[in-house]
Amino acid sequence: MNFVDEYDVIVVGAGHAGCEAAYAASTMGLETCLITIHLETIAQMSCNPAIGGLAKGHLVREIDALGGIMGLLADETGIQFRLLNRSRGGAVQAPRAQSDKALYRLTMKNWLEKVPNLTLFQGVVTEILIKDKKVQGVKTLEGNRLLSKAVILTPGTFLNGLIHIGLHSYSAGRANEPASHELSENLKQLGLKSFRLKTGTPMRLHEQTIDWSRFTAQPGDKKPVPFSFRTQKDLKNQILCHIGYTNQKTHEVIKKNLDKSPLYSGKITGVGPRYCPSIEDKVVKFPHHQRHQFFLEPEGLETAEIYVNGISSSLPLEAQMEILKSIPGLDQAKILRPAYGIEYDAVAPTQLNHSLEAKNIKNLFLAGQINGTSGYEEAAAQGLMAGINASLRIKGRKHFILGRNEAYIGVLIDDLISKGVEEPYRLFTSRAEYRLLLRIDNADKRLTQYGYKYGLINEKDYEAYQKKQERIEKAMHFLQKERIIADNKEKLRLKDLLKKPEVKFKNVVEYKKFNGFLTDEEIRHVESEVKYEGYLKKQEKEIARIKKIEGEKIPENTNFRKIPGLTREVMEKLEEIRPQTIGEAKKIPGITPAAAMNLHIYLGIQKRKSEKGEMFHVKH
Amino acid sequence: MLEDTIIAISTPLGYGGLGIVRLSGKKSLPIAKKMFKPKKSKAQIPPRQPILGNLYHFEQKEFFEEAYLTYLPSPHTYTREDVVEISCHGSPVILEEVVRLGIKAGARHAKPGEFTLRAFLSGRIDILQAEAINDIIQAPSYKQVKISFSQLEGSLSQKIASLRSQIILLLSQVEASIEFPEEGLRISAKQISKKMEKAIHDLKKLVESYDLGKTLSEGLTLAITGRKNVGKSTLFNSLLQKERAIVTPYPGTTRDYLCDKLNVNSSIFTLIDMAGLGSPLHLAEKEGIKRGKILASQADGVLLMLDASQGESTEDFKLIEKFKNKKTILLFNKIDLPQKINKKNVKSRAESLPALEISALKGTNLEKLKETIYEFFVPQQKQAEEVILHLRQKLLLEDILDCLIDGLRLLKEGHSEEIYAEEIRKTIPLIGQLTGEIRTDDIIENIFSRFCVGK
Ligand SMILES: Cc1cc2nc3c(=O)[nH]c(=O)nc-3n(C[C@H](O)[C@H](O)[C@H](O)COP(=O)(O)OP(=O)(O)OC[C@H]3O[C@@H](n4cnc5c(N)ncnc54)[C@H](O)[C@@H]3O)c2cc1C
Ligand SMILES: Nc1nc2c(ncn2[C@@H]2O[C@H](COP(=O)(O)OP(=O)(O)OP(=O)(O)O)[C@@H](O)[C@H]2O)c(=O)[nH]1
Ligand SMILES: [Mg+2]
Repeated sequence: MNFVDEYDVIVVGAGHAGCEAAYAASTMGLETCLITIHLETIAQMSCNPAIGGLAKGHLVREIDALGGIMGLLADETGIQFRLLNRSRGGAVQAPRAQSDKALYRLTMKNWLEKVPNLTLFQGVVTEILIKDKKVQGVKTLEGNRLLSKAVILTPGTFLNGLIHIGLHSYSAGRANEPASHELSENLKQLGLKSFRLKTGTPMRLHEQTIDWSRFTAQPGDKKPVPFSFRTQKDLKNQILCHIGYTNQKTHEVIKKNLDKSPLYSGKITGVGPRYCPSIEDKVVKFPHHQRHQFFLEPEGLETAEIYVNGISSSLPLEAQMEILKSIPGLDQAKILRPAYGIEYDAVAPTQLNHSLEAKNIKNLFLAGQINGTSGYEEAAAQGLMAGINASLRIKGRKHFILGRNEAYIGVLIDDLISKGVEEPYRLFTSRAEYRLLLRIDNADKRLTQYGYKYGLINEKDYEAYQKKQERIEKAMHFLQKERIIADNKEKLRLKDLLKKPEVKFKNVVEYKKFNGFLTDEEIRHVESEVKYEGYLKKQEKEIARIKKIEGEKIPENTNFRKIPGLTREVMEKLEEIRPQTIGEAKKIPGITPAAAMNLHIYLGIQKRKSEKGEMFHVKH
Repeated sequence: MLEDTIIAISTPLGYGGLGIVRLSGKKSLPIAKKMFKPKKSKAQIPPRQPILGNLYHFEQKEFFEEAYLTYLPSPHTYTREDVVEISCHGSPVILEEVVRLGIKAGARHAKPGEFTLRAFLSGRIDILQAEAINDIIQAPSYKQVKISFSQLEGSLSQKIASLRSQIILLLSQVEASIEFPEEGLRISAKQISKKMEKAIHDLKKLVESYDLGKTLSEGLTLAITGRKNVGKSTLFNSLLQKERAIVTPYPGTTRDYLCDKLNVNSSIFTLIDMAGLGSPLHLAEKEGIKRGKILASQADGVLLMLDASQGESTEDFKLIEKFKNKKTILLFNKIDLPQKINKKNVKSRAESLPALEISALKGTNLEKLKETIYEFFVPQQKQAEEVILHLRQKLLLEDILDCLIDGLRLLKEGHSEEIYAEEIRKTIPLIGQLTGEIRTDDIIENIFSRFCVGK
């Protein structure tokens, strides 16, 4: 076979998933090639100029703790920072930042260019080369073959992408970028089932055509909290966001134009996300709402573009302009880029293992939007995991899978693999069973050891991490040991004092001096650990119990059709998803506890049979 | 799964004189020992030998029933685990109490078919037997719950359904305000606590209605009523087989009412004897009649007695009129004497009621009477499994209640949303066990259908 180059790992698509994947694989010492359509759009933020938020900010912290780059980059290129839910407890606080989009893109490119073992390559991949159900490499539009031991696919919204503006539609992966049709066809031929999803993005406006006096400014935090445990530099807020509202007139315009909406005229068949509704959706589904909130967010420092967060739409341009006219302050606004909707192919993630490897093709990994998720952070988290797992596979080491009790990344991937998706999947904190355990303040404690083990966290950062743990331990010890005399004359541990809802660490040290130093971040950690202590202990017990039950392995060659007493529907589901453990089986929709029990019985029989040799024979 | 010890009633409930509660698992004996004290306190309980003792109610700190305990150590048992069997009086009341205590002492309620499942898992039975039990395991327990609910208390399942949606809504509101801090969804602690209080109130009522249902089916009251001197007290004594009530040839003998437990085929009734109805001769008698009337109208069932050796009177007809729409058995007493009553005439006024001719004094037809009582008053025989589910429901409801009470307390103490949300979240799988699974997606779906959030 003629080929132009040979690598250990090829990553297809330099979006948020692809960049993390390529970075992880090359940092783990593998010769890696990151192929993407345009080198200019590496790590392009297709939609809003922001990183983080509830659950998403958690993901970024976890990516960072494992040694990924998103957190560092978000800190580096952020222009406004806020910690959400400050008034609530540590488990539901998360950082969010406005990013300078162009700077984010350029910095990522710049960083990746410096990573040893990593080659960036501009090209369009049209085919995955397969031999004996195992990956060989990829073929590009020009007919070049690049060989590799593993391929990580991260083509985002580009597979059969179709953009809609009003009743007009055209093929594209993102506005004015080519869609990937051949690759999509190729995946179908390889036996990967796909389905249509839909998402959308709002219009961008020119800063100077907006009457800013009409909107309420929303500043950043006085003391910004970084995403990354490793960020050293001081973060600065350099811009303001603004809040505005639609009104009855806006809603009239939208209703009047619904017949020109590809969504409501039935032209779009893909399923859109409920949590990212277009303004059309909001008006139709909540007719009693007098107004809807939106945010005006600058796209960067060096640009006049303003992103209108909350008015995503696929109505025609004239209607979009009419919408703006109805809103005081935007009535003169000029649209620089129209809002649009996009439909694309996603691959049913139930066809993957928890390592994100395709079940039917060895060494082919899938990550990001292609797996039915939406969001930069969700993509990056999967990219990182796919990068690590592809590398481990090549090195002949055991895969790396995070449990639902270990990380939001674990929840995310487990939801995808075991439940599948019906609409673009977004992470929420309520998807986690152990929400009080999965916090931004302990992401390093949960995950940094792994990052270090796989070579993604360097010695220096690991040492800093260990020092931090020592400081925290000292503080915990102090809180456990020291007591004060409470109002009722009884001795009270400082820890128990800190458990009271209104008490903060700083109040506790007013009673007793603490001979140690803690950063604000570490204080938040100590407060969470103490305040949630009762729950955390109980949850740990629960986790151990469930682990035992659900850990039972389902051998790969299990013939689900042979299991007596399962309904056809259950059998088909099991066949399709091929769960690897009882725990996974239980999570498949339609699998009743009874069916899982039945499976458990059958496996017990099989096991006993093989232990005793064929002691009895079942006649059919 | 095989770590914990399971407990369940293992005889069809209530109707077989003797009942057995079975425990299986490592902790069977220690758990059993908490609620069973041998008569002869020996240092050790010998295996495979029934020992006589008393059931000890460790909550109320009293002995409540005689029982036998048999300890069957692993591995030569049905499940190959340690098994303990407690045999005692077959009354459902007692058996369920034993199970409840067992759970309090650390056992877990066995799922339908779980003893058999364990037997299988430990290799005790083979695949064919395993397939046979498949059917039992197949039915998701909540479905059975639903069936038993619709049969026993149709309205209960409706109430649980409404509770389910109440809690889903409550949680959606809390979760939405946590997940979307930017979108002004914050609902006040006061609003949340109001909703929690409402749910707690409804839950308490549900738990109570369970208790009500239980006494109705398992502790029925039966009142003997009729005119003076017809032989009520005589029947009372003969049924109980003891001289409990005073009997004289004079009308108006019984004044205060009398109660005693009557055992019919191991179903326990509370039998009531009372003053005979008719014009009172005495103030005390007047009061007795008044109370008697109330008792009879409140009783679950009535034995309406007529004196067959006397002609029927308007007084008798009034009584028939009063009780014919209740669960009533008509009794013609004193059939050993010459008959003066026109039975046809009487019966025509109460066609739907079963009627029996007896002699309370001679004991004629009393066995037949017991049979009729049993058939007429005891609801159709319930399956053991069903009753177990019934108790499970109550335990589940109580668990849900506990979570919400804790949550409300945390809220009132000023803890943050995610903390009390944790308590509400805990109820989700519990409600799931009652009414079918609730997935996280159900909550998220609810959030998005109720609140316009997301950018
Ligand atoms: C219009 C629009 C609106 C969106 N709105 C939202 C939103 O509101 N909220 C939200 O959370 N997320 C939104 N997203 C999604 C978000 O942009 C993605 O979730 C995220 O970027 C996915 O990351 P990714 O790495 O999987 O793919 P992408 O960021 O899409 O990157 C894919 C990369 O693969 C490259 N590529 C594709 N095909 C090939 C090929 N054949 N060969 C080589 N390279 C290829 C592309 O050039 C691109 O660089 C939106 C996306 C779009 C396009
Ligand atoms: N021959 C005969 N006598 C009966 C029978 N049942 C009751 N007697 C007699 O009837 C008389 C009244 O019986 P009680 O049992 O006291 O009647 P009661 O209905 O309780 O009467 P009050 O308490 O006064 O209302 C007694 O002398 C009984 O012995 C019966 O079946 N046959
Ligand atoms: Mg009497």
